[in-house]
Amino acid sequence: MRSKLLVVFFKELRETLREKRTLSMLLLFTLMYPAIIGYVMHQMIDKNTRTEREGVELAIIGGAQAPTLVSQLRQKNVTINQVAPMSDEAIGALLHARKTAAVLRLSEDFVDNYSAMRPARIELWFDSAAENGPQRRQIEEILQAYGSNIASARLLAHGVSPAALSPIQVQRYDTGTNASRSAMVIGGIIGILFFPAFMLTMSAAVDSTAGERERRSLEVLMAQPAHSWELVCGKWLAASVPAIVGVTLELLLAHALLAWLPLEEIGMSWSLGWGQMLLVCLVTAPLSLLSAALYIALAMNAKSFKEAQTMLSFVMIVPLIPGFAVSALELKTASWMYLVPTLSNHTLLKELAKSSELGALPFVLTFLSSLVPALLVAAFAAWRMKSERYVLAV
Amino acid sequence: MIEVHDVRKAFGAVQALGGVSFTARDGQITALLGPNGAGKTTLLRTLVGLLERDHGSISVGGVDPAKDPMAVRRDIGFLTDQFGLYERLTTREYLDYFGELNGMQRTSLRTRIAEVSELLGMDDILERRTKGFSQGQRIKVALARTLLHRPRHLLLDEPSRGLDVMSTRALRTALTALRADGCCVIMATHVMQEVTALCEDVIVIARGHTVAQGSPEELCRRTGIANLEDAFVSLVGTEEGIA
Repeated sequence: MRSKLLVVFFKELRETLREKRTLSMLLLFTLMYPAIIGYVMHQMIDKNTRTEREGVELAIIGGAQAPTLVSQLRQKNVTINQVAPMSDEAIGALLHARKTAAVLRLSEDFVDNYSAMRPARIELWFDSAAENGPQRRQIEEILQAYGSNIASARLLAHGVSPAALSPIQVQRYDTGTNASRSAMVIGGIIGILFFPAFMLTMSAAVDSTAGERERRSLEVLMAQPAHSWELVCGKWLAASVPAIVGVTLELLLAHALLAWLPLEEIGMSWSLGWGQMLLVCLVTAPLSLLSAALYIALAMNAKSFKEAQTMLSFVMIVPLIPGFAVSALELKTASWMYLVPTLSNHTLLKELAKSSELGALPFVLTFLSSLVPALLVAAFAAWRMKSERYVLAV
Repeated sequence: MIEVHDVRKAFGAVQALGGVSFTARDGQITALLGPNGAGKTTLLRTLVGLLERDHGSISVGGVDPAKDPMAVRRDIGFLTDQFGLYERLTTREYLDYFGELNGMQRTSLRTRIAEVSELLGMDDILERRTKGFSQGQRIKVALARTLLHRPRHLLLDEPSRGLDVMSTRALRTALTALRADGCCVIMATHVMQEVTALCEDVIVIARGHTVAQGSPEELCRRTGIANLEDAFVSLVGTEEGIA
């Protein structure tokens, strides 16, 4: 004889798997979030490495008047394209076509002004809507350096030290290491990976409680020789299965993507191994158990499927709150974060991405932070189902 | 045998059962008559231990449902007044589910489903998903579920509603067979014809009280009215006047 709990579990699971909506949701979430993360990271890498890869294309009008400038640009790996004088509109069109990062136009009296030591005008045309900020900055830096070189030479010719031009000297030190920068960016984005734990349990949890009540099959079930805890736990575990499967697959897929992407190109790291990722999946399983227990405890009190869904769509937002609060307040990772469901999973993965040296405690805390409340809520639901008040309302 | 003595149940200020007493014997079909809102559903729910009584005693085959509801439920087939099937399961899967919940083995379940299916004439819907079943087909599935684990006691709330002539006859045959087996059947119904044709004993309840118990003939004799329906109305009506 099979245990009553397992009888209920397998029946509910069979019903859930026969529902196309649940399966398509499962597929959607398994693929969607890793795809989003992969796409965002890919875009970041692409954007950051474009300058290096493609070099800088620059069109110059009247470049013959400043051969030193042109050769300095060439030394800095800028591809120079000497063009004939053109109208403002034509320059706009050229920039709009994204053929060139910027256009330099030397005025016709450039040489006269230069010789007379009057400011010689160079126009820098660019399109700020185009995504070539780093390339433009590089051109501006070269122009700046060109200007200071000439100034220094002129001052020297007059017997003044060029140092007089630089009363201060700025030296930049960036203390953000690759790893901590990576934690900030990846840390923010991986939070969404845990959200499906709260999406995928919903339909089965609502269907097996409020739905069963709406279809008037709950009274018959409750009159069977099975304890209410057996009914509740069977339904609870069955509702958790799609989420556990979905979140595990999704995390593994995201891991494969992040490990495959050349994150080091943008100074980021994803320093997890497959073993650690499997551990993360394991300690994340109770999160699905918690969401299923919560939904069942709430939905069993709703009279219809619709009422339950409306109620739960509000509840679904709750797990997002700690994550948002922590990033909004810019809190540093602290041990208490491993005690808050969802936030604990998010924090664990974030810290693992940064460095592998974490120890066992965060894993254990993350596991228990969801499992303990899940058991408590499920026990509450079983107690509630046994109560007379509940029987009456069925 | 189901023995009920002075059972009372109140929900807040509402006295749903104010004193119900009767005995339903084995090998008999006992009709439970009462107007809507008389407390039939509350009574049946109390018998299977879903609700606890405030007062009185109940014995279902010698077991008190308040003390050991699981033992009582294993020995009861309960057809509720409203019930839903599981639309994504076939009839056989539905029956398997409830059979297993009642502790039946896989192998004995298969033979028992075949028996019950033949008894109710439902072989044609056995492998179909229950979505879109007619009322008659749904009742048959639910009845099959109540009979499946060979309970000694049956609580049937309007089992014949929505059945066509052929199915009603099948139901009647099934009930007669159960009686011959020595089962104790309590059947709530509004069809007097059925009571006259099938039931040895009748319990009349109104406003949560047992008004009368006896064979249909006895009830007619007591009220001095030849027609059972008129006798029932008179029993309910006079008693309501007093309450």
